[in-house]
Amino acid sequence: MSDKPEKFIDENGLRLDGRQINEIRQMKIKIGVLSRADGSCYLEWGNNKILVAVYGPRELHPRRLQKADSALIRYRYNMAAFSVEDRIRPGPSRRSIEISKVSREAFEPVIMTHLYPGAVIDVFAEVLQADAGTRTAAINAASIALADAGIPMKSLVSACAVGKVDGQLVLDLNKAEDNYGQADLPVAMTQDGEITLLQMDGNLTPEEFKRALEMCKEGCRQIMEMQKEALRNKFADDHLPIEVPDEIVETLDVAATLEDVVEENEGDEVEVDDSSEETVEEDPELESEVEVETGDADEYAAEEPEEADADDDILEVEEESVDLIDGEAGDEDEGVANEGSETREQ
Amino acid sequence: MEREIVIPGQLLSENTADAGSGTYVRDGKVYSLLYGVRNAKNRISVIPFSGKYIPTSKDFVIGTVIDVTPSNWIFNIGSPYDGLLHASEYPRRVDSSQMAAIMDVGDSALLRVQDVSPAMKVELSMRERGLRPLKVGRLIEFVPAKVPRVIGHGGSMVSMLKKETNCEIFVGQNGRVWINGKDHDMDLLDNAIRMIMQQSHMDGLTDRIYQFLKSEKENEKGIVSADNGSVEGPVEANSSDEAKEDQGEISEDTYRKVDALLEETDE
Amino acid sequence: MSVLKKDYIYNLMLKGKRVDDRSFDQVRDIALETNVIDKAEGSAWVKYGETEVLVGVKVQAGAPFPDSAGEGVIITSLELNPLASPEFEAGPPKEGAIEMARVTDRGIRESGAIDLSKLCITKGEEVWIIFIDIHVLNDAGNIQDASSLGAIAALMTTTIPAERNGKGEDMAMPMRDTPLAITLVNIGGSLMVDPGRDEETVCDTKITIVSNQDGSISGMQKSGDGALTEEQALKAVEMACEKAAELRKVHLSNI
Repeated sequence: MSDKPEKFIDENGLRLDGRQINEIRQMKIKIGVLSRADGSCYLEWGNNKILVAVYGPRELHPRRLQKADSALIRYRYNMAAFSVEDRIRPGPSRRSIEISKVSREAFEPVIMTHLYPGAVIDVFAEVLQADAGTRTAAINAASIALADAGIPMKSLVSACAVGKVDGQLVLDLNKAEDNYGQADLPVAMTQDGEITLLQMDGNLTPEEFKRALEMCKEGCRQIMEMQKEALRNKFADDHLPIEVPDEIVETLDVAATLEDVVEENEGDEVEVDDSSEETVEEDPELESEVEVETGDADEYAAEEPEEADADDDILEVEEESVDLIDGEAGDEDEGVANEGSETREQ
Repeated sequence: MEREIVIPGQLLSENTADAGSGTYVRDGKVYSLLYGVRNAKNRISVIPFSGKYIPTSKDFVIGTVIDVTPSNWIFNIGSPYDGLLHASEYPRRVDSSQMAAIMDVGDSALLRVQDVSPAMKVELSMRERGLRPLKVGRLIEFVPAKVPRVIGHGGSMVSMLKKETNCEIFVGQNGRVWINGKDHDMDLLDNAIRMIMQQSHMDGLTDRIYQFLKSEKENEKGIVSADNGSVEGPVEANSSDEAKEDQGEISEDTYRKVDALLEETDE
Repeated sequence: MSVLKKDYIYNLMLKGKRVDDRSFDQVRDIALETNVIDKAEGSAWVKYGETEVLVGVKVQAGAPFPDSAGEGVIITSLELNPLASPEFEAGPPKEGAIEMARVTDRGIRESGAIDLSKLCITKGEEVWIIFIDIHVLNDAGNIQDASSLGAIAALMTTTIPAERNGKGEDMAMPMRDTPLAITLVNIGGSLMVDPGRDEETVCDTKITIVSNQDGSISGMQKSGDGALTEEQALKAVEMACEKAAELRKVHLSNI
């Protein structure tokens, strides 16, 4: 293909697709689109179409891959065979393996992996249609899918690229700019501007790099706003107020309901204590209990309560868990899975 | 009060003393770790919309056996971590050759988490009133983050459900509910629980579920009146010694936890 | 799956009911969207209940097989993406994925749904190769039928990109038929179409029948550990042909 445009930026300073040099493409985000996944996100960005599913934290097999003190993150970037002009063979390529690695590392700094020792968090990013900037698009979608899965994170991660065409820096490359540009700098950032992914190819002066990074930062900031907006709006339609007639509120007086239950169960032991309502607020133990239940992750305090009984059980754990793996192995083969399947028929 | 949806990384407070569950502190400020609802009871915490069940000591759970060894039953408890029930934690003495006869792979049981080690070895117990293997009834699964909704303030939701449907209900904190009663009643309860799941983030939930049950029952009255009215209260379809023993009540401290979580977000 | 859940579903089915209140001969709600992937020559996104499958068709010029020098080539692949289910793993294709790809492929091939002779560019040298790639996105049961419908819909929207390749004028995919797979499961002697995931788990025997516009059959597959009676096999064919005709009318007639 030799359809390289003569000029990437016209006399009005606009790009081939009509954008300003610092303007990002249209983004469309849908959350919770896959029923089987723990969290998911469908994202369109320009002509990119990306679907991300998150599973976990879940059990990790084989056991030798487990990390004793934290969860493992696995990130799989995969392109559908039909996602590009020339069909690509299904299955991992050197390119997709590299992208998977750096994308995983883009999330390592923000995910609270130490809350889930020995477990795994799987992120599957499928590029259904590719149109320049798939890795950054996948990271933007993965960030939302992780939040949707209830994974504790210090920040969302947002990503975009800056490139150079006609000697000028442009934000969020389109296909032609990506193919024929003089540089490509994909970056992922946290909300504080910490860089968690950075790659570059092509040619930039240190001066240009500095400016490019500034542009990336502004792009990521805008994208993070869109991510937040999408998350806030997931339940928007459901928030309509619903009228509840007064009388029904009355019949549902909690104490009364509980009494009824006690009567019904007669002699049976019923562990309902009417006073529990009042004691809630004063109970000093309560806060700590609640924290633990919801998978508390107060950054600095979280590890402390666990240390108390960290000693004698450890040897035993090793033993018991052997059983545990054997037991699982049998169940596992049920699901047929595959990647890179190609059946040649004749 | 409008419930505020928060996002990982969102600033919640400038005062570190406010840091509750689901938050982290950085440079003297409190931020959210989770996607969920802000809860400003005493300290600021975040109640997530979703997330896996992570076992904690004393939790009531419902497990399904995935393996039986000579001394342990290994349970899937809907968590990244499986639970171990040692034979000595079964209510009666068990000979190692009898393990699978008592509970085999696929069988479910009401259990309590006894201990969780730092390496997340989860020890379960059945030596408590009401805990037992399940031979009848149905299991319903949902997102563990929604458990407080099924229980309700001070157990209000679960009590109302029991009363209105004449079913036994046991709510596991791992996002599983066991129900038992007449088929027809279980169908109704099943629908009610599904409705709670769908509308879990909305206000006035108990009232709406109550209304739903009431109207469902009224609709049916005309149709199945002949079928009704024979037995009152929960139906113990199985061997009565087991079922009579307990209704699988939820303990007081569970109610408290739930209350604290629902406080402020349930108005 | 827990015994309690299994028993519940099984007993329900023995009473003639299904977990999602469908009747035994009722297929889940289907949503079909075509031309969703611009980069593909044809594409379809199928929702079969909550099961989601994305099919893309790519067309490339290439060498024919020596024994069919004047005919185009069809290559069907199916990926059970780990994104689609907690039970799927990344890795080389397993038998279930290969089976579903082959059943889909056989239906299309044996029915003569594509006029392969029209896909010849230069006899013995160059023909059009049709790649049908089935990307499973969410497994809520019966991936097979969703894949089959998706593949046919994607083929129907496919344009042979001759101009782009300097091989003459673009043309529509030379379609002659629309074979559709319908899968049934055996439950206590009765047959049930379009099993959901729980139903697939509870029933150990499935039969898939691919039928054509004229009611003829161009592919079948029994799968699973159980057995079928002769009577059931015959009944399955009857039900499948009827359902396929219905789906064809509702979902394919306006593509």
